[in-house]
Amino acid sequence: MAANNTPAGIDKEQAFGMAEAEMEYRVELFNRLTQTCFNKCVDKRYKEPELNMGENTCIDRCVSKYWQVNGIIGQMLSAGGRPPM
Amino acid sequence: MAASNSENDSKNEIPSSSEAEQPQFQAIRMPTMEEIRAQEVWNNCAVRSVVSGVMGGGLGFFMGMFLGALDNPIMQDEMTGRQQFVYNVKQMGRRSLSSAKAFAVMGLVFSAVECVVEKARAKHDTTNTVVAGCVTGGTMSARGGPKAACAGCAGFAAFSVLIEKFFDRHT
Repeated sequence: MAANNTPAGIDKEQAFGMAEAEMEYRVELFNRLTQTCFNKCVDKRYKEPELNMGENTCIDRCVSKYWQVNGIIGQMLSAGGRPPM
Repeated sequence: MAASNSENDSKNEIPSSSEAEQPQFQAIRMPTMEEIRAQEVWNNCAVRSVVSGVMGGGLGFFMGMFLGALDNPIMQDEMTGRQQFVYNVKQMGRRSLSSAKAFAVMGLVFSAVECVVEKARAKHDTTNTVVAGCVTGGTMSARGGPKAACAGCAGFAAFSVLIEKFFDRHT
């Protein structure tokens, strides 16, 4: 497709590709987050259909920590090229 | 998520004659805002302990009333029927109030300690019940000295574990 009425420097296809990559990243993040925190916090012998209080607390903390770590690592990756080792 | 998908796929392969007998699976729906808020209210330790205390008070009230009705007055021969009845009613009232207070305190302390411990540990275990039972038994028999407190702690912890296993026996 010809880049006729798009902002300078950004192809329509390029923007689409970026949006698609971002969407994939987000979906992957969500899936991994739920998988990790579910495996960590929920007892596999299902006794009742709802989350009890301990599991609720555990999931709150797990998601908070995961998000925080994700943000920190994302910043480190985007800031410097070389890892500080 | 993946497990439920494979389960639904295997359901489609079962012949249609047994489809009617299988329980209907409902689609996963996210909880509404009201459900989330209601769950948050119920997970609050203060709300939970107060509700438990009230329920314990009600239970103690009825139990005390029942046990007070069985009490016989000491001077049974000298009282008329009406006097016996008045004495019995007073006895029932007194016992039910004291029993209600004791049970209310018991329920309040147990529920509060269990809630706090479970929130701190972020796990749903029998350890929460044991600790809560120990603290409740200990505070209730603290007047008899440290030995009585230890005995009350162990006894009430064992009792609450038994009650919890009893209520969860079918899972």
